[in-house]
Amino acid sequence: MSAQVVGPTFDEAPQRTGRRRSPHNVEASTHHRGRGWTVAGYVGMVLVVLVVAVPLFWIAITSFKERQDIYVRPAQWWPSPATGGNYHDVTTRIPFYDYFRNSFIITAVTSATKIVLGVLSAYALALLRFPGRKVVFLVVIAALMVPNQITVISNYALVAQLGWRNTYQGIIIPLAGVAFGTFLMRNQFLSLPGEIIEAARLDGAGPMKLLWRVVLPMSWPTLVAFSLITVVNEWNEYLWPFLMSDDERTAPLPVGLTLLQNNDGVTNWGPVMAGTVLAMLPVLVLFLFLQRQMIKGLTAGAVKS
Amino acid sequence: MNDITRRGFLGLAGAAGVAVGVGACAGTGSSPSAGAGDSGAAVGPIEFWSNHPGTSKEVEQKIITAFEAANPGLKVKLVDAGKNYEEVAQKFNAALAGGQLPDVVVASDVTWFNFALNKQFAPLDDLLSSAGVKIDDYVNALYNDYKFNGSHFALPYARSTPLFYYNKPMWQAAGLEDRGPKDWNEFKDWTAKLQAVVGSGKVVFEMADGSNYLDWYFQNMAWSFGGAYSKEWTPTFSDPKTVEAGKFLQDLAAAKTVKFNKAPEADFGAGLAACILQSTGSLGGIAKAAKFEVGTAFLPGDNDCPTGGAGVAVPAGISDTRKKNAVKFIEFLTNPENTITFTQATGYMPVRKSAVDLPAEKDFLAKNPNAKTAIEQLPHTRSQDYARVFVPGGGARIGKALDQIVQGQDVTTVFKALDAETQQVIDAQIKPKL
Repeated sequence: MSAQVVGPTFDEAPQRTGRRRSPHNVEASTHHRGRGWTVAGYVGMVLVVLVVAVPLFWIAITSFKERQDIYVRPAQWWPSPATGGNYHDVTTRIPFYDYFRNSFIITAVTSATKIVLGVLSAYALALLRFPGRKVVFLVVIAALMVPNQITVISNYALVAQLGWRNTYQGIIIPLAGVAFGTFLMRNQFLSLPGEIIEAARLDGAGPMKLLWRVVLPMSWPTLVAFSLITVVNEWNEYLWPFLMSDDERTAPLPVGLTLLQNNDGVTNWGPVMAGTVLAMLPVLVLFLFLQRQMIKGLTAGAVKS
Repeated sequence: MNDITRRGFLGLAGAAGVAVGVGACAGTGSSPSAGAGDSGAAVGPIEFWSNHPGTSKEVEQKIITAFEAANPGLKVKLVDAGKNYEEVAQKFNAALAGGQLPDVVVASDVTWFNFALNKQFAPLDDLLSSAGVKIDDYVNALYNDYKFNGSHFALPYARSTPLFYYNKPMWQAAGLEDRGPKDWNEFKDWTAKLQAVVGSGKVVFEMADGSNYLDWYFQNMAWSFGGAYSKEWTPTFSDPKTVEAGKFLQDLAAAKTVKFNKAPEADFGAGLAACILQSTGSLGGIAKAAKFEVGTAFLPGDNDCPTGGAGVAVPAGISDTRKKNAVKFIEFLTNPENTITFTQATGYMPVRKSAVDLPAEKDFLAKNPNAKTAIEQLPHTRSQDYARVFVPGGGARIGKALDQIVQGQDVTTVFKALDAETQQVIDAQIKPKL
C-alpha cells in the first residue's frame, strides 16, 4: 500500500525538478552522466586499440630482436639489445628488391585496370541506356558469385596454354576482372540525385564530361574506398601469383617472404617479421595519403546538396 | 553524335564484360596429353619444382651448378614451388590440369601416393635400371617407402624421422641418466622427477598439435604399445592396443605432463619444455636457438620410429627424353656426395648407405653427435601405416581425432569413428583404383 503512494512521488519528483531547473542543470547532469560514459568509451577505445595495435607492435619489435630473444618467458616487450640484423638478412638472404619491384608492378597495373574498368562499366550500367544492360549487369553479378578458388584451375590451363606462365601478363590479366568494383560503383552512381545529372545533360555535357565533372567528384569517397580495398587486396594476393610465378623474376612479396620460413624445421621469425614490416609500409603510406582524400571527398559531397 | 557515343559506351561495357569473363570463368585447359606433346621438339631445361626443404635453396642451386658442369648440354631450372609440401602438391595439381608439367617435383610422405595412384607420377624402376643407378645403395627403408604395386615412384631426398630431444641440464637436475627413455612406461616413471625440477610456467613434455603432424609422432606411441593405424588397407584404430596408446596420451594430457603446441621446438629451444618429439630437420635450428646443452635420443620403444620427409618424383605425362634426363638429375641430386652436402646443410638424413663411410660425413658426425643419433636410429625405423600416408586426407583426419582425445573425449568412441571414416574413404577412393 505504502509503496503505491511512495512510488509515484519519487518517480515524479526528479522529472519535475529536472524540467524546472533545466536551464542551469542540463549541462551539469549531462556532464555528470557523461563522465561515466566517457570513461567507458575510453576504456572501450583503449581495448580496441590494444586488440589492433599489440600484434602490430609485436611484429615491429620482433623485427628488431635477436634470435634467442624471440621465444622467451617472460615476454620481452622491448628489444634489448636491438639489432638491425634482421633487416639486413631479409634484403640479402632473399632477392627482396626483386620481389618488391614485382609486387609494385603487379599491384599498380592490376589496380589501375580494375579501377578504370570498374568505373567505366559501372557508369555505363548505371547512367547510360542501352539494350541488354540488365543482362550485362546480371553477368557481372554472377561473376561476383564465383569464388576465385574455383576458377583457378581453368585459368591456369588457359594461361599456361598461352605460354604466359612466369610472366607479368599471366599474373595480371586474370586478376584484372572487376565484378566487385562494377557492382559497388554502379550502386554509388545510382544513388546520386537524378536532378543534377539531368541538369548537367541539359547544360550540354557529353557522357565523358558528365562522368569526369559531375559523377566522379560526387562519388569520390566511394571511389577512394574501392581503390584502397583493391590496392590492399592486390598487394596481398597470394594464391594466383604463387601458382603462376616460378622465381623472383615475377613472384610478388607475399610469395617471396615464404622463402624465409623454414618449412621443416625451426623458423627464425626475426627476418620474417622484418620482411612483414617492409611489406606493410607502402600500403600504410598509401592509406595515410588516401585517408585525407577520403575526408576531402566527404566534404565535397556535403557541399553539393 | 549521341548514337556514336552510345555505341562507344556499348563497346566499353562489352570490354568490361570480357575482362570479367577472363577473370571469372576462362576456358578449360588442354587435354592432359598436351604435356607430352613436346616429345619431338627441342628439350628445354629440366624444371625442378621444390619447396627447398629446410631452407635449402642455396644448397640446391649449388648441386644444380655441379650437375650442369658434369653434364654439358643439360640445364636445370629451380622453381620456387611453394612454402610447404602441400603447396607443391597444389601447384603440381594445377599443372596437371593445364599442361606444362615440370620434370622433377618434390613429394612428401603424404602427397606422393595420390599422384602415383592416379598414374600422374612415372614408375621409376625401368628408368633407373636403364640409367644404371645403384639402387642397393639407397637406405632400404627410405627407398621402399615409395613402393606401390611393385613399382617405386620416387627417390628419397629430404628424409627425416622424429627424434627425442631433451634438455640435459634439466635431466641432470632430475637425477636422470643421460639418455632417452627406453619405452613410454619408463618415460611415465620419469615425469614425476622432471615435474619437480622444471619450475613454474614450464612443462615436462611438448608435442605438436593435431594440425601440425601430431599424427606422425603418435604413430610411434601406437606402435610401441603394439597397435597401429592400419594393417595394409584395413584401419586398426579401434584395436585394443591402439586404444591403449590413445589412453596413455590422454592420461599424459590430463596430468598436464604434456602440452600441445604449434611449434614445440620453439618452446624447447627457449628452455620452456624439458623434452619434445620433433623432426630431425629441426636439429640445426634447435642447436642455434638453445642456450643449454641439447641431448637427442631414439624414440621410445623398439624399432617403432616412423620415417618421414620427402622424395623427388618424375611426372608421368612428359616425353621419354625428358624422363631420362630427369632421372639423371635425381640420381645426381641424391648421390652419396650430394646427399651429404644437402643433409649437412639442413639436418635431414643421408639417403645413401655408402654416404656414411665418406670422410666428409665421418668428420661431420664426429663433430655433431646429435646428427649421429638420427643416422643410428635409421635401421630401427619402420614405414608408415597406409591409413596416414596413403588414404587421402589421412594425416589431417587422424590429427583431428587425436586433438579430440587429448581434450578428454572417449578414446574408444573417437577411434571407432575414425575406423569407420577411414574405411569409407578407402572404399570410395582407393579400392576402385587398385
